[in-house]
Amino acid sequence: MAASVRHLLKPWTPSLCLVRWSRYNPYYLDPDPSKDARVPESELSPEEKELQELKTVSPIKAALSSDTSSAFNDPLISKFINMMMQDGNKILARGIMTQTLETIKRKQVEKYHKSPAAKREEIECNPYTVFHQALENCKPIIGLASVQKGGKSYQVPVPLTDNRRRFLAMKWLITECRDNKHRRTHMYEKLSQELLAAFANEGNVVKRKHDLHKMAEANRAYAHYRWW
Amino acid sequence: MNLHKLSSRLCPTVTQKFRHLQIQSRGQQLEAVGVETESTEQNPLSVFRTSEQDPTYHSERHTGQYYTLPAAHIQKLFPHGLPPRFQLQIKTFNEGCVMVRPPALELISYLKKADYSKPPLRYILYGDVGTGKTMCLSHALHYCYTQGWLIVHIPDAHLWVKNCKELLPSSSRPSRFDQPIQASQWLKNFKITNERFLSKIKTTQQYVWTKRERTEKGQPLGELVDQGVNRMKSSSDVVGAVLRELRLQAGGATEGEGAFKLAVAVDGVNALWGKTSLKKEDRTMCEPEELTLIHNLRKMMINNWAPVMICCVCCIDLLKGLNIFAHFLFLPLILFMSSVFQEGFDNMEPFVPVSVSNYNEKEFESCYLYYLDRNWLQHSHSRSEEGKKELIFLSNKNPSILERLCAFL
Repeated sequence: MAASVRHLLKPWTPSLCLVRWSRYNPYYLDPDPSKDARVPESELSPEEKELQELKTVSPIKAALSSDTSSAFNDPLISKFINMMMQDGNKILARGIMTQTLETIKRKQVEKYHKSPAAKREEIECNPYTVFHQALENCKPIIGLASVQKGGKSYQVPVPLTDNRRRFLAMKWLITECRDNKHRRTHMYEKLSQELLAAFANEGNVVKRKHDLHKMAEANRAYAHYRWW
Repeated sequence: MNLHKLSSRLCPTVTQKFRHLQIQSRGQQLEAVGVETESTEQNPLSVFRTSEQDPTYHSERHTGQYYTLPAAHIQKLFPHGLPPRFQLQIKTFNEGCVMVRPPALELISYLKKADYSKPPLRYILYGDVGTGKTMCLSHALHYCYTQGWLIVHIPDAHLWVKNCKELLPSSSRPSRFDQPIQASQWLKNFKITNERFLSKIKTTQQYVWTKRERTEKGQPLGELVDQGVNRMKSSSDVVGAVLRELRLQAGGATEGEGAFKLAVAVDGVNALWGKTSLKKEDRTMCEPEELTLIHNLRKMMINNWAPVMICCVCCIDLLKGLNIFAHFLFLPLILFMSSVFQEGFDNMEPFVPVSVSNYNEKEFESCYLYYLDRNWLQHSHSRSEEGKKELIFLSNKNPSILERLCAFL
C-alpha cells in the first residue's frame, strides 16, 4: 500500500524521450545520410568550405528511422509515402508505393517489349522518372488565397512556395485516387493509372491544376488586394 | 568470328534464322558478349543465355543460363502450373525464360537413368522458402513433355485443402467430401495438357455416375474427362477414376499405341498429410483422408504399381508463418515429422531427396544480367557495382526476394 502511494508521488519522466518532436534550436543542422564521395578541399568554393567547417562543429538533428544511407533512398518518395499513410501504418503505405512503382514499370516495360525498335527510345521505363515528371506536371504555378476586404472575401491569385506546390500536387493525386475511382480497384492500380496519365499531361489531376490556373487568371483584377 | 565460336560451343544445331533473330534483337548485348568470348573460359559469368532450348540436352555447362520456354509449350503444359509472379513476368517480358539449375539437372538425369521396369521412384524437392522448387519442377516437367510423357500435374495441393467454397458430401461414399470446383478445374487443365493421349487410352471397367449416366468399358479417356467437366457433381469421383485408369495402364502395353510414360508431379505434397482448414457441417474439422481428391492422390503416391516417375515438391506451409530460419527446419524429415505428418513420412518413405538452395554467385550474376537485358532494373544505382552489392545483401541471393526487390527498383 505504501509502495503504490510512493509510486504515484514519484515525478513522472517518459521512458522514451521523443527528440524529433521537441523544438530544435535553429542552429541544429539537418542530417545528410548520403554517402557522397568527399570532394577534395581545392575544388570547393570559400562558401562551401565554410559550410563543411560548420558541419564538423555544429550539432545535428536526430535522423528519421525511414531515412537510409543507400542511394535507393528518395526524399520525394518518402514524403509521398508519409502523405499516403493513415493511422501511422507506414508498412502498408510503403507497400502500396512499391506496388505502384512496380505496376508502372510493368506497364511501360510491356509496352517497350511489344513496340518496334524505332519507338522504343520514347518509352520511359524508369518508374522513378515517371513519378517525378508526373508530380512536376501536377504542380500548380499560382494559387488562390482568400482575402477579406470591406466585408466581402475575395479569391486573390497568390504565388506559392515550392513546398506548398509539392504538397498540393501530392494531395490532389491521393484524394483523386481515393475518391473518384471505382471502389473495387486497388490503390496501387489507381495510383499507377493516374501517374501515367499525369506523365502524359492528361488525367483528372492535371485538369484540376489547369482549372486552378484559369480561376487565378479570371481573378486577376483582385491581385492588388494582396499586401504580402 | 567470336560469335561463331560461342554459338558453336553452346549448341551445334542452332539454326541460321534463330541466330539472325538473336543478333537483330539484342545487337548491343551480343557485341558486348562477343568481346568477352575470348575470356568466357576464364569468366563464365558473362554469358547468361543459352541457345539450347531442349531440356534433354541441358547439362552442367548450362548451369546458371536461361533458356526460353516456347510459347506453345507454355500454353499447353502449364495452364495452371507456373507460380503467379512468374506468369506476370512472362507477360511483361514477352517471353518465358527459366534458369537451368543443378537441382533440376539432377532430377532430369535421374529421370533419364531410371529403370522403368521397377516400381516407381519418388523424388522430393525440398528447400527454403522462395529458393525455386516450383521452377525446378516446371523444368523437369518440360523435359517430360518434350519426351512425350503423360503428365499429371497438381499445381498446388494446398489449394485443395483450404479455402474451398463448396464442400459437398460425396455421392458415391457416405463418409467422404467432394470438391466439385477444384476437381472440374483440374480436369479442364488436364485435358489441355494431355490432349493426344485422351483418345488412345481406354477405360477398363464400367463406371456408374447416376441412374442415367454411366461410362462403359472401353470408352476413350477423353469421354471420362468430359463427363467430369460437364457434370460438376461427380467431378471428384471422375478424378479418382482417371487416376485409377492411368495407374493400371501406365506401364501396361510396352509397345504399340497404348504405351505411355506417366509423370506425376505434386506441388506442396505436405498438404496431403497435414491438417485442412475445412469444416464439416457440424463445425468439426475435416481430415484430409475424408476428401475424395486427397484420398485418390494419396493412392497415386504409393509406389507399388506400374513403373513411372513421381515427383513431389515439398514446401513449408505451417512454417511460413513462423519466423524461424533455422536451417534444419527445412529438411524433409522435419516437414513430414512435425506434429501430424508422421504418417506422411511413412507413406513416402523410400524417396530420393533433392535439395534446392539460394543462388550461388554465378547464378546471381546470370539473373542480374538477365534483368538488365530485359530492361527491368531501371534505377540508376541498381546498375552500378555498389547497387549490385546492396541487392546481394538485401536478398541474400534468394531468388524470390531478389525478384520482388528488382520489381520496384
